[in-house]
Amino acid sequence: MTTELTLTTRPLPTGILLALAGELDHDSAGQLRTALHTITLQPGDLLTVDLTDLAYCDSTGITALIAARNHTHTHGADITLTAVPTNTLRILRVLGLDQVLPIHPAPEAEPDPST
Amino acid sequence: MMCETTDSGPEQDIDADSTHAGGKAGGEAEGDAEGEAGGEDADEAELAQFSALLEDSAEDLYEHAPCGYLSTLMDGSIAKINTTLLHWLGYRRTQLVGHKRFADLLTVGGKLYHETHFAPLLAMQGQISGIALELRTADDTRLPVLVTSQVKTGSDGQPLLIRTTVFDARDRRAYENELLRARKEAEKAGAEAEQARAEAERARQAAESEHARLRQVMAILQKSLLPPELPQIPGMQAAAYYHTASADQLGGDFYDLFPLNQSQWGFFLGDVCGKGPQAAAVTSLTRYTLRTAFQHTTDPATALDTLNTALYERYTGTDPRYCTTIAGTITPHGDTLHVTLASGGHPPALLLRADRTTAFLPTPGGLLVGIMPHPHFTTATTTLNPGDTLLLYTDGLTEARTANGPRYSEDHLHAFARTLAPADARQTITALTRLLESFGTGLDDDTALLALSNPTAHTDPEDA
Repeated sequence: MTTELTLTTRPLPTGILLALAGELDHDSAGQLRTALHTITLQPGDLLTVDLTDLAYCDSTGITALIAARNHTHTHGADITLTAVPTNTLRILRVLGLDQVLPIHPAPEAEPDPST
Repeated sequence: MMCETTDSGPEQDIDADSTHAGGKAGGEAEGDAEGEAGGEDADEAELAQFSALLEDSAEDLYEHAPCGYLSTLMDGSIAKINTTLLHWLGYRRTQLVGHKRFADLLTVGGKLYHETHFAPLLAMQGQISGIALELRTADDTRLPVLVTSQVKTGSDGQPLLIRTTVFDARDRRAYENELLRARKEAEKAGAEAEQARAEAERARQAAESEHARLRQVMAILQKSLLPPELPQIPGMQAAAYYHTASADQLGGDFYDLFPLNQSQWGFFLGDVCGKGPQAAAVTSLTRYTLRTAFQHTTDPATALDTLNTALYERYTGTDPRYCTTIAGTITPHGDTLHVTLASGGHPPALLLRADRTTAFLPTPGGLLVGIMPHPHFTTATTTLNPGDTLLLYTDGLTEARTANGPRYSEDHLHAFARTLAPADARQTITALTRLLESFGTGLDDDTALLALSNPTAHTDPEDA
């Protein structure tokens, strides 16, 4: 029943794109936290987290996203979420996190204006 | 036994010789004349050489037989001994013959046995065989042997001397010792295995009782995170439910209902992110911080501010801890109840009205508690008229996996509430408890429910 979490990264002109696919929950949040330590961010970089294929995100998953935000901030970088699924967006709004996690509509919108 | 072999040795050899001759006879019948003459000469020479060899071998066999020979007079003194036995014992012939008795060659124990059993039996039966004894060699080491003795009698039937054969039993003794050692080792291994099994069993029992003790401790701690039971409040009905997803994991959900002053009541319900003891510690901190905060303010937003400061300062490092909380006050006004709510990132409260309408009570802008240094918590208000119910819940309910696949949601909950309304606090909690049970294993998170209702003037006869 549980679908696993898959993480993929690729460089963007603005920084790094991190795509999450599957379920971000109590069982898989540790994966995201571990992956964050392997991502090298320079000051001014933007970590774009693509949630197009995120099937589910629970409170622990949200906590991991907050940890990602804190991680980017400590490196002088910034974070943005793109293609947030409706349900996750609703949770983020309930938690008030849309105030602290910038949300952009689609991942493709990111590279185009900057190139 | 060996004596017999020795005696019959020549006979066997003679038999062999006759067989040999017979073989030649067969050859003659087949062979030609010339071959016959030469063959006879060769046969005679061979026979002569063979018998010479035989005559030699009787004495040589005695002296160098693969066993020891010993002849003693009837008083036990050694009269004759072969080289093999002398070699084994390390004595010269002159040291023994005419100087020592057979018993002198035995160990102390052997001497006793010789005197009490060996000699009397030999005297009685004329022979004794296969007795295990130990001989003492010249350099005082022990030589395990098997001894067979026979009394030789004269023509008048009088005993003349005793013939004794001695077999070297070192190999056999070593083998026996090896068997004995192997058996002892097997017994020891068996005993050790048994001991290990018993120890494992003791360890298992200890671990089991330790586990039981730990579960008991956790159950007590978990219970301490919840109010033992809701207070009875005049003009108000309250009901609550708590579901623990895992008996081994301390829960992160919490709620409370308590008096603020003579005319007001405070309440809160929330969910600490994460599971396990760390989450439970945050739950405890959260509950007592909120209770204390409400002693100094009747404004739920201010209480959440206090909680936010406590969590933000306490958990700033690499292990940030947050919770979602909905906190409020309830104040009776005539036959209505005034409710003020503030939410810190918590799902909105649900209203089930007496007129069968249902609605979420939005508390926009409330941020997860403990994440930012200065969040802005806003409040919302509502009035509970007779027959109205306010429901607070944690996301264990709205995130449960349903049997047919998709997760339960706030929309599902809203639809369920519409079928329920109007319902008082107890009816609402009872119905939702049944709903939660229907999720079975799909309810994979702790879930807390708290309902507060304004009872109808003429209680109950509504639909259930």
